[in-house]
Amino acid sequence: MKWYTRFDWTLFLTWLLLSVIGLVAIYSATQGPLHQGTHIAGNFFRQIIHLGIGLVIIVVMQFISPRTYVGLTWPLYILCLFIALLTVFFGIEVGGERNWLNIFGFRLQISEFMKIATIMALASFLSNQRNLSAQDFKTIFVIGLLIALPVGFITLHGDTGTSLVYIALIPFILFWAGLPYGLSLIMVAPALFAYLTVVNIYAAAVSVVVVTIAVFIIEKRPGITIAGFVLGVLVVIGVNVALTDVLQPHQRARVEAFVNPQVDPQGAGWNVIQAKTAISSGGLYGKGFMQGTQTQLRFLPEQQTDFIYCVISEEFGLVGAGITLLLFLIMLSRLLFMSATHKHPYARIVMVGVASVFLIHVMVNLGMATALLPVIGIPLPLISYGGSSFLSFSIMIGLCLNFYFYERDFSIYA
Amino acid sequence: MPVKDRNTQHARVAVIVLQLLVAAVFIILFGRVIYLQVFQYDVYSPISERNSIRQQIVNPARGLIFDRHGDLIVGNEPSFTITITPLSFDMSSIPLLAELTQQEEEEIEALVQEARTYSLHRESRLLRDVDFQVFSNIQENLWRLPGINHQVEGKRSYPSEARLSHALGYLAEVTRDEMNRSPHYRLGDLIGRSGLERIYEDDLRGSKGTQFVTVNAFGRSLGPFSGGALDVDPGKGVDIHTTLDIGLQQIAEELLEGKVGGVVALNPKTGGILAIASSPDYDNSRLAGQLDRDYWRAVNSDSLTPLFNRAVATAQPPGSTTKPMMGLIGMQLGLITEHTTVHCAGGYQRGRFYRCLRSHGDINIKEAIETSCNTFFYWMMDQIVNRFGLNTWTSMMNDFGMGIRNDIDLSGEIRGLIPDSTYFNRAFGVRQWGLGDMINLGIGQGAMGASPLQMATATAVIANNGYRVQPSVVERVAYDDGTVEIVRPDPERVEWMRPDHLRAVQEGMRKAVTEGSGRFYANIRDVAVAGKTGTAQNPHGQNHGWFISYAPYDDPEIVIAVLLQNAGFGSTTAAPIAGMMYEYYFHGEILRPHVYQMMLDFEPAPFNPNRN
Repeated sequence: MKWYTRFDWTLFLTWLLLSVIGLVAIYSATQGPLHQGTHIAGNFFRQIIHLGIGLVIIVVMQFISPRTYVGLTWPLYILCLFIALLTVFFGIEVGGERNWLNIFGFRLQISEFMKIATIMALASFLSNQRNLSAQDFKTIFVIGLLIALPVGFITLHGDTGTSLVYIALIPFILFWAGLPYGLSLIMVAPALFAYLTVVNIYAAAVSVVVVTIAVFIIEKRPGITIAGFVLGVLVVIGVNVALTDVLQPHQRARVEAFVNPQVDPQGAGWNVIQAKTAISSGGLYGKGFMQGTQTQLRFLPEQQTDFIYCVISEEFGLVGAGITLLLFLIMLSRLLFMSATHKHPYARIVMVGVASVFLIHVMVNLGMATALLPVIGIPLPLISYGGSSFLSFSIMIGLCLNFYFYERDFSIYA
Repeated sequence: MPVKDRNTQHARVAVIVLQLLVAAVFIILFGRVIYLQVFQYDVYSPISERNSIRQQIVNPARGLIFDRHGDLIVGNEPSFTITITPLSFDMSSIPLLAELTQQEEEEIEALVQEARTYSLHRESRLLRDVDFQVFSNIQENLWRLPGINHQVEGKRSYPSEARLSHALGYLAEVTRDEMNRSPHYRLGDLIGRSGLERIYEDDLRGSKGTQFVTVNAFGRSLGPFSGGALDVDPGKGVDIHTTLDIGLQQIAEELLEGKVGGVVALNPKTGGILAIASSPDYDNSRLAGQLDRDYWRAVNSDSLTPLFNRAVATAQPPGSTTKPMMGLIGMQLGLITEHTTVHCAGGYQRGRFYRCLRSHGDINIKEAIETSCNTFFYWMMDQIVNRFGLNTWTSMMNDFGMGIRNDIDLSGEIRGLIPDSTYFNRAFGVRQWGLGDMINLGIGQGAMGASPLQMATATAVIANNGYRVQPSVVERVAYDDGTVEIVRPDPERVEWMRPDHLRAVQEGMRKAVTEGSGRFYANIRDVAVAGKTGTAQNPHGQNHGWFISYAPYDDPEIVIAVLLQNAGFGSTTAAPIAGMMYEYYFHGEILRPHVYQMMLDFEPAPFNPNRN
């Protein structure tokens, strides 16, 4: 078989296309007349370099045997933890977050690269289990520990948004590793309950009932069902008490800003209102490249990073926004498909992990941009400006490409 | 290996579930995007436009005011204004704003509140006429102060030597009521409150322009929207050309300083006001920019009421200056001819004795005016009310512009008082008044009141051979497109006045200046002045001095009426002021500086505001 028939072009091309869409959006967000001569204007050129480096890395990665990566798993994981520890003490503080480490002039955000190391560590641990199962307590504990370590450091960095990504990764991995469906549901459900409580407490109450019934139908174990129900009720009541009694009104406004941005249009609601305005005013075909008033006049906050999707939506309309979504959908589906068909468990877990991280990022970032979720500052993969995050996501893709490319050789070492 | 199979199967199901999850997430997100971009487009598209395009009001330059020589009396100078758009303003930056503008925080907060009450979205003035230092402070810190903006506006400047306080009038901020009534005004706009500024407000203010500018998220203007295609330029206020003579005005003001009274000089042929002064006056320029509160309070609380325009708004008994009018009325009614003599034995006996200054013997109308004989006019008034009735006299007096409004284009003009029977019935009660109240009127005493403007208008009728003119300050209004509006109506002939009667009275007035009471100060070199002094008895204090006059005698160009309250004899107080003004008007200089100095030094009796 020729090499190019074994290479997964779908994944590579979606990577490339999304990166280029990101470049276009960053260009629009940083090259307008308002940014001329500012530091932000340089972001576009830096991102071109990031893309170039990313491309080189992906290509070079394809010449290395997957066994090397497997072998590097633990050293990499420990190295990342060490750098994370260094960052806690020597990191550069920007806006209350200390998550950059200055290494030879490069600003390294270890929390991004740590995602790869964590996924690989999880894959290594799970694939070395005799029975690949999350049924027993020890497995669950180790998985939790492998994720808790980076979460601890990143929380010390002050970057709660990224910590959430790691925590959200736990149910995905456990679920894939064999945690019973009902328990998986109970693990995910509190997030749903809490979210619905903020939006509408009645919807939350209904969801608790529905989830309890679903758990019972799947598991048919009254103990777990009742535990799940009690947990759900506690979450709903807890969140509600926190909202009404514990939080100050302005804090509550901040939490609820995505539902009621009008409460504080100049403060917490500002981002939400401006983001919604940018997306909605784009209409079907958008205002045109560099023509988005919300973008060009800087009404959008963080427009080249967290709110980049608003730039695409405003200037390229539903068409642009839809194509971006479609590319992500293709990429994730491809990753999941590759994972389902791959013969080696290590690769399968890495692919599922990568798909999960992408999914979490896309879901949270786009949910925030479209005012479905509270504002949580995490980047949109491959599109948002940022060297560490772009390279980290690129390496993840490169890794998956490599595992797919060498699937046959891979199984020999299994 | 059944266990492994189970695991493999679990993993396969897991992937399917994950795939379904991915699909669900994307369906929700795509649905959300469709909802926003298709169904909410109409809601947010206008918001995005409003966000980035701001409509700004461009204030027009207020019209200029010129004197008769084309010299600028009222102009505009740049003034720095700090504005606020309350919606974008962050209340927490009030301390910073207060620090930058060197104001109290409470003050700024109150101003912000006021702007908020007016409109959240509209830009209003926060501080007007700040000094340049404050302006540049704000300019540098604009990025820290969202919602705050700055602009350069015009404020009134008064380059002329003359103050012309009352004639020009002052501007003040519009009231809420005025804003409601007219679409022209917005919070903080200035409106003419008195004088020409008030009367010609509609012409002077111009029309507001609109400018659409693109602004960024910080409210900073980035330049015109779509190349300014939608902008409407402001219409400059219309310039106003007056008949005022600054030099003459300046003399009148200087000589009135420290005294209480008014001076009106006008052209008898056209009615154009050459000078109009009232004392005490105030300084318009101190009310022009940021309101000088202390000065405003001082001006308002002064017992001498500096804001009160005595030239048009005071009503004082005209005294002997009524006599030329009486002569014309008497001759017209057939009571006398110009040769009829009346014997003056020092007074007139009718019920009681009405005193004259001295015994004049047999005198005719000319001599009666020249010597200011009271007896002659007591007798005449007695005849008039007995044979024709008081109201005949009243209506003939009205034809001189006495007791009626003359519709000058200044604010505050009063009707004065020329009583008729209705007035007496109302004031004293029916049958509660009689001859004694009326005979006095013959010499301008009693229930009679006239302003310097009215006396000037009446003198102009005599000087003008029976043509009454409407006094006016503005000669023409120059619109931008070149049309010049003449605002003055034609002189109106008073039908009953006959040339021979007028000549007799004019001769009497000429003689009063050459031989009579006006000879000391009003009789100037080379130019024949005709006039009449008046000393109105003031039961509350010193008499009021009057002088009415015109010149040249043969072809009158200028009429001057002077009132000095509490100053004593008109011949020695009011007449010199007119004399100095004539010298300046005809000779271009003061020929008798000692008289000028005398009038500058002259101090009338203290004015008692409660009794005058």
